[in-house]
Amino acid sequence: METPLFVGEQIHGLIPQRPPIVMVDTLYSATETEAETGLHILEDNVFVEDGRLREPGLIEHVAQSAAAFAGYGTFRQGLPPKLGFIGEIKQFRISRLPLAGEDLRTNLQILGEAAGITLLSASTVSGDELLATCRMKIFIKED
Amino acid sequence: MIMEKQELIEKINAALAEEFEIDVEDITPEGDIKATLELDSLSLVDMVALVESESGVKIKGSDVAQIKTFGALYDYLTEHQN
Repeated sequence: METPLFVGEQIHGLIPQRPPIVMVDTLYSATETEAETGLHILEDNVFVEDGRLREPGLIEHVAQSAAAFAGYGTFRQGLPPKLGFIGEIKQFRISRLPLAGEDLRTNLQILGEAAGITLLSASTVSGDELLATCRMKIFIKED
Repeated sequence: MIMEKQELIEKINAALAEEFEIDVEDITPEGDIKATLELDSLSLVDMVALVESESGVKIKGSDVAQIKTFGALYDYLTEHQN
């Protein structure tokens, strides 16, 4: 059985967001260049309308997945999570909006880093079904 | 797979010219990368990702600022190929 690195409220140690805007609940794995996160979509999720997670919720899930990935890096250095900003989102393609009750898993891969900006590719699945892909640039604010 | 330097240069130049919509002849060894490709702080990382993908060489974030010209970029990639 897979043992996540961080799950549930533990994830608050990696990201600056707090309920009800927390859109990632699991960090399954993380390496220098890749991570996998998850989210169980609750009925009362603020981004759920008519039983489906809407587009802004998917985008926020990917953004917070990136934040958790970055937060895990600072956690390993014994530092608190840093504030991150989305610099750009490109090629966001959604094939289906997930239903409340589904479990999302998002794979993140770092494609490049320069001048404090990280370019990531993300793909989100539910089970074996690909739901969304995108490229995102994030800027992590240094203290 | 290790590429010969000229092969690497041609591959990188072709990819950069296509991605940033410039003529490949505008890319010269002494040319300034940011000025030639009209890069800003956000698109700089696109250049890095493309070059890494085409060359198979990881460019350290701390090294990016030191690489000003295409010639310096070619040298860096050649030196860091496995």
